[in-house]
Amino acid sequence: MLVNWAYIKRDTFFHRLDPRARIIFMLCALIALGFIPGRGTGFWDMRVVLVFLGLAFLQIIVARITWRQMRRFWIIITIVAVMLSLVTLLTGRGAAGVYDPSMEHVIGSFKILGLSIVLSAERISYLITQMMRIMTFAALSVVIPYTIDPALYGIAFKGLGLGDKVAYAMDLAFRFIPTLGRDMQIIMDAQRARGFELEAGRGTNLLQRIRNFAPLLIPLTIGAVVEGEEISDAMDLRGFGVGKRTWLPRLTYQTIDWIYIGFGVLIVAVGIVAKRAGYGGLWIPPWLYG
Amino acid sequence: MSNVSFSLGQGQIALISGASGCGKTTLLRCINGLIPRSYKAELSGQIFLNGIDYRDKSLSNISQVVGTVLQDPERQIVGAYVQNEVAFGLENLELPRAEIVRHVDETLDYLGIAHLKHRETFTLSGGEKQKIALAGVLAMRPDILALDEPLANLDPASVQDALALIRRLADEGKTILLIEHRVEDVLSIKPDLTLHLQDGHTSYLGPVDGLLKDADYHAVKLPAPIVIARSKGRNATLPPAMSPASETAEALIQIEDVSFNYDGGPQILDHVNLTIRQGDVIALLGPNGAGKTTLAKHTIGLLRPNSGRVLLRGQDSREMTVAQMARTIGYVFQSPRHMLFAPTTREELAFGPRNLGHTEQDIQIDTEQALAVVHLSAEIDRPPLALSFGQQKRVSIASILAMRSAILVMDEPTAGQDFANYMSFMDSVVGLGVTEERPYSFSAILFITHDVDLAVCYANRVLIMGSGQIVADGPPPQVLADFDLMQRHRVIPTSLLKANLDYLSRTGQFMRAEGLATVQENE
Repeated sequence: MLVNWAYIKRDTFFHRLDPRARIIFMLCALIALGFIPGRGTGFWDMRVVLVFLGLAFLQIIVARITWRQMRRFWIIITIVAVMLSLVTLLTGRGAAGVYDPSMEHVIGSFKILGLSIVLSAERISYLITQMMRIMTFAALSVVIPYTIDPALYGIAFKGLGLGDKVAYAMDLAFRFIPTLGRDMQIIMDAQRARGFELEAGRGTNLLQRIRNFAPLLIPLTIGAVVEGEEISDAMDLRGFGVGKRTWLPRLTYQTIDWIYIGFGVLIVAVGIVAKRAGYGGLWIPPWLYG
Repeated sequence: MSNVSFSLGQGQIALISGASGCGKTTLLRCINGLIPRSYKAELSGQIFLNGIDYRDKSLSNISQVVGTVLQDPERQIVGAYVQNEVAFGLENLELPRAEIVRHVDETLDYLGIAHLKHRETFTLSGGEKQKIALAGVLAMRPDILALDEPLANLDPASVQDALALIRRLADEGKTILLIEHRVEDVLSIKPDLTLHLQDGHTSYLGPVDGLLKDADYHAVKLPAPIVIARSKGRNATLPPAMSPASETAEALIQIEDVSFNYDGGPQILDHVNLTIRQGDVIALLGPNGAGKTTLAKHTIGLLRPNSGRVLLRGQDSREMTVAQMARTIGYVFQSPRHMLFAPTTREELAFGPRNLGHTEQDIQIDTEQALAVVHLSAEIDRPPLALSFGQQKRVSIASILAMRSAILVMDEPTAGQDFANYMSFMDSVVGLGVTEERPYSFSAILFITHDVDLAVCYANRVLIMGSGQIVADGPPPQVLADFDLMQRHRVIPTSLLKANLDYLSRTGQFMRAEGLATVQENE
């Protein structure tokens, strides 16, 4: 069955906001930072990214989400961010469009594991900015599951204009994530009890390495599929999806919600204007040219 | 399934029984409309609900007439909170909000669970989940209730509560289809009709008395006095009863002053002390949430104590990995779903032994033997994920047996299995010395169960847990004679236990009903 996110009921400014306002603001901030077209999609000026990062953490602080609650999330995000950034650094790829590789200011180069790595001012700036962007995306998203009452997911998505069926599906999908986490833990335990030790590095080729994960991934996938079918049966049996439905919880926008949404829209608008005017590309700290 | 016909009047209870795979759930799906709407199938004949043929009606129409509670409430509950869950069906019927709120409150009051209204559903106990699943269906006010094995996941006291509730619903006019292979338990609410299915056919249809007289008591669990009466003169050969392990026998697992809680959560184990010795066959009883599974997980290092220590053959569990401990301890998880992954049953069984570094030759022998013990030799080349739930459970048990561990720990090994299958596999696993029928001889066995009769038939030591502590520990005739203590911990005496206690002065030990028949005869 579906597990809820570790939502803790609190009475903060952030919790009092309408869930829809919070989601809309998040989407605005994500779009402004990451998706406005131009030279390098979104903002690559680390000074601008820092502002977004500050905003995102301000939300987390205001919502009083504890480090303990988010610890696991941040560990995973940090690993992802570091891996992505290192791949970019090692290969020099992935930066297409953000800076011109033919004009790099090379600082030095070294060899590691037979790979020659070129360090340039552009690459280092790109690396730092990319990590900051990933952290900002994560910080903007993480407040949503930890501050929205699970009872309100469905009505929030419905209120954002989705149909009954899609809104309820989003509700379920949202709660599927922590459920997968719990299932993974149980599966891991069950296989360890059969003497299984995860050695991702064992085996010579990629296929063999992936195969090492089969005892974990297959029960997880099959379990998810079976659970999906069961949930759909259970919902059918209670008349879901045949017509319009009533939603028991209710949401109403307050003035402060409109202000919050307006702030989000403003960020996007300013972002578009700034990108159009040619701002927001990769910024390289002057001392790096040194 | 073919040629099944019956009719049931308002306020009556029909008990539909039969071994796993007999077609019970299929019949239910025909009645509640999932067949042919969600499951493609060829359906012939007619089904009338309140005199109306619902063949061309939608599932939501049917759902207002037949309320279905699925086998596992875990699979039925979709709402994040109790209130949302109970309201779900009413929301789908597009009732006005005020009416939904009223129906929800009435239903929760009716079931005596109004205090759960604002709880998160996934934090509820098994018995509570069952009631919430039922509430979600009852709130829609169906005339007919279809309950698929509603007793399967409950502790004995919750079983009694659930049965009393079912009786009350029938008395108040609901018509009830009760699918259950625990025939003995259901007898107490006096079903009006019993339908026993075998391989998709009706093997018995009529009043309960006839079933008690006719049914094979190896396949259907019947009350002990009836089995005793019916098995007289048959001279059943029974495995010898087990005597308790010697107090000086080697200590295999020592749990010393162990306390455990999850991060910031409540204390789940509270200064537990337990020594498992060579020759122990331990039944661990107690209510849901008492800490049984948590304790068992400590034996193989899946959980490590917050304080105190666990020794496996004298070595501290903190110094060993789970994989190392798995060489000595075979641990069977509650749900098979979390471990099956291989393309064939053979491969599935070979996984554990391969991890332990057994030779391919040994693996082949052990695999075939383990499958024979759980009656699945025919499925050796089939994918385990394509088997039925009961079969999957047996594959998961066989996967552990094939590892040839010295100690066996099983978490509810019989849940979701029918009587004949689980008795036969328990016979194959539990006992002393190796015989042809029983190729296994474990140094010690510990099983968690809600089934008191399993403790009566197989254990030589019984533990009762309550609120993180072991509250009773001793040979079955001693621990299971204290009805007060048992009932305080939601363990309910069964007819077999009572019969055994009646005969105890003559037998000196517990035995199964057929054994008691032999004793009675010899007198």
